[in-house]
Amino acid sequence: MADIPDAIVLKRDRDLVGRIWEPWIRRVVLLVLTVFLALALANVFGQKSATVERRSPVATLAIHAPTTLRSGLIFQARFRIVASQEIEQATLVFSREWLEGVTLNTVEPSPIGEASNDGQLSFDLGHIRQGQTYDLYLQFQVNPTTFGSRTQETRLFDGKTLLLTHARDVTIFP
Amino acid sequence: MDIAIRALILYLFVFLLMRVMGRRELSNLQPFDLVLLIVIGDALQQGLTQSDYSVTGAMIAVGTFAALQVLTSYLSYRVSWMRPVLEGHPLVVIQDGKVIEKNLKRERITVEELAEEARQQQISSLEDVKWAVVETTGAVSFILRKSS
Repeated sequence: MADIPDAIVLKRDRDLVGRIWEPWIRRVVLLVLTVFLALALANVFGQKSATVERRSPVATLAIHAPTTLRSGLIFQARFRIVASQEIEQATLVFSREWLEGVTLNTVEPSPIGEASNDGQLSFDLGHIRQGQTYDLYLQFQVNPTTFGSRTQETRLFDGKTLLLTHARDVTIFP
Repeated sequence: MDIAIRALILYLFVFLLMRVMGRRELSNLQPFDLVLLIVIGDALQQGLTQSDYSVTGAMIAVGTFAALQVLTSYLSYRVSWMRPVLEGHPLVVIQDGKVIEKNLKRERITVEELAEEARQQQISSLEDVKWAVVETTGAVSFILRKSS
């Protein structure tokens, strides 16, 4: 069998002895890839927005924002406050998890005042009349190096009186 | 640091993808495949350096890829059991002018495509071929019968 090309082993390269498993590895990897893509289509990796609402006798706070993100993504969070009763001095306080590793690009409408409330960002929104709705839009971008899970807490105050606390879990994929 | 980690993850992902795509896709690049490859490269870049426009960032990314490529070829050279994993084995598809259909099917190559490959190497008939081997690169090598 001198005419067999060098380095060709007929059992292995022609009869495929010991290579039966090769197509199966390919199929398994392609299956895993398909599952990964299906999960992506099912919004497992973001960034579809969802609304989570918290109520108190005085007000309702609904946050409409994605709960799953990826590093570098630009996203919007809408804070809707519906006043069931008069709120003299509405103030939203954001936990550090809202801004740690995330850039806040724009706030609309601009709050009357901004402050640090025990190290947490605080927006003074002013007076909200009974029955009125106040929408606050925040435009964010996840920093490219940020990833992991976190709980973002938002507290609504009337002056110094806590009206409600809103907490949501967010996952950021790398 | 994170660029190097991203480069490592993407290198492994692309490597795996190229291995499972099969040799047929790699050897027969149609114009559309070429466009697709460029698009894949562009999509990779987004995840690799993201908004880092620095020369340092680009050097880390390219350096990591180069180092991994050298490591892969070194492992393939030094560690014999890793060679089939990293590069695969050749596949005999013609012996003595007879096409081995089972082996062609494995690489999703038709007899017509094999004949086309042969024509490109000035071989008019597959019957003149003593051996045809799909190499690990995806290219097909033809060895003619002595009388041919």
